Amino acid sequence: MEQAIYRELIMTGVDAKDSEDAIRQVGQLFLKNGFVKDTYIDAVVAREKVFATGLELNGISIAMPHTDIIHVNKPGVTVAKLSHPVEFEHMGEPGRKVQAEMLFMMAITNPEDQIGTIMRVLGAFQNKDAMEAFKKAETEDEIYAAAMQYIG
Amino acid sequence: MKTCTVVTVCGSGVVTSSMIALKIKEQLRERGWDATMLEASPVSLNSVITGKDVDVIVCASPVTEDVGIPKVKGMGMVTGMGEEKVMDAICEVLEEKYK
Repeated sequence: MEQAIYRELIMTGVDAKDSEDAIRQVGQLFLKNGFVKDTYIDAVVAREKVFATGLELNGISIAMPHTDIIHVNKPGVTVAKLSHPVEFEHMGEPGRKVQAEMLFMMAITNPEDQIGTIMRVLGAFQNKDAMEAFKKAETEDEIYAAAMQYIG
Repeated sequence: MKTCTVVTVCGSGVVTSSMIALKIKEQLRERGWDATMLEASPVSLNSVITGKDVDVIVCASPVTEDVGIPKVKGMGMVTGMGEEKVMDAICEVLEEKYK
């Protein structure tokens, strides 16, 4: 199983004024740890405006910003909790807003190689226990433990 | 088993379309369909479907363009809420075409 969760990609208390600010702050985790190229964050911001990634899940709203593989060096998933919800547009319905409490930002280099990662993230989204664990987690260590348990 | 071709569409044609493609393939198999899955973004959709006999397009991002192939909203496959509805809608299209 390919690794997706790294301790250095976990963050809490992200104090963002809007969705772009949230993406830029959380994207720094990828950038400073070498997971992505310096074009990644701008590319994610641009893509989010055209193809939003907000999701209303069972009991929690989140966003999963990502972009094209050319901006990525190494696959990984950031798991970040915001200190207060930030408005994202819903993935499937233009104009519908979600108040995202967490960001699962994705760095994918090859969807076929990383289909396991992609499916484990999807599995967590659909798992009520997983989302409750993330909702309850306060410290980065608690978020990391939940991320390892449910995504790995 | 009956065969069909399904295209999943998301913004980048990478992450979300792969997510739902695998689930749809598995669930179609349970319903008696051996599906060939293709993935596209709204931008690449036309080139992905050209020359292929695509039966249904499942959208995780809105596709406004009419490419002459039935479209089904696929968000339920991402959130896990309303998966049955999405699968029913896909099967309805397939059964209508191959009846």
